[in-house]
Amino acid sequence: MAPDNHHDRLPNFHDKYGTPILLSGATFCLAIWAYAATQIGIEWNLSLVGRVIPKDWRSQ
Amino acid sequence: MSKAMFFLPYSPWFTLVRRGAVGVQSIRHAHGSGDTACSQKMPPYTNYHAERNYPMPDEPFCSEPSPQQRALKEKEKGPWQQLTDAEKVALYRMQFHQTFAEMNRPSNEWKTVLGGVFFFFGFTGILICWQRLYVFPEKPITLSEDWKSKQLQRVLDMKGNPILGLASQWDYSRNDWKK
Repeated sequence: MAPDNHHDRLPNFHDKYGTPILLSGATFCLAIWAYAATQIGIEWNLSLVGRVIPKDWRSQ
Repeated sequence: MSKAMFFLPYSPWFTLVRRGAVGVQSIRHAHGSGDTACSQKMPPYTNYHAERNYPMPDEPFCSEPSPQQRALKEKEKGPWQQLTDAEKVALYRMQFHQTFAEMNRPSNEWKTVLGGVFFFFGFTGILICWQRLYVFPEKPITLSEDWKSKQLQRVLDMKGNPILGLASQWDYSRNDWKK
């Protein structure tokens, strides 16, 4: 995308901290949402096709 | 003053203020000929705004010229062949804050912006986690794995949606999902 050609000017905030902020923000976001989506018991109600094995229901 | 701004937490106005404060930064970076840097009033007290789509602002960049700069302006009233190259550059720098190349330079601001966006999106995920633990009601029995399995068997027994729907995905001869 935008090349950081600031060889002639002093590096500004975005040059110094932009990449760490971007990477840490993305990692944090990904980790939190992976945890939220899988570990805390949210029911996504995904399609049963290919996932759920039917069980006998009549014998009760 | 710009240094203090580095420690602000991310917020939308932070970027705006930084853009507006470019005039202040220019005082510290004396560029070009090495003449005395312009005493530039802080925005919003100046009418000068360097913009790509407004190339000739009404006011010159240097609103308060020093004695040398005023002398140069006097010389400018004469024939321009008498001006040296350095003087021409100095006059340009008095009139304009940045060249188009400097104005249009690419920046890494998008990294900070996107990183901040991800951070707040992750914070939203934390709120969702809290909500699941303290706000959501009990999961209905109909959504338990056991109930879903039995319900699926019942639907397959009834051959629900046998053309394109659920039962069409089930292979009755093998007693398994179709591959």
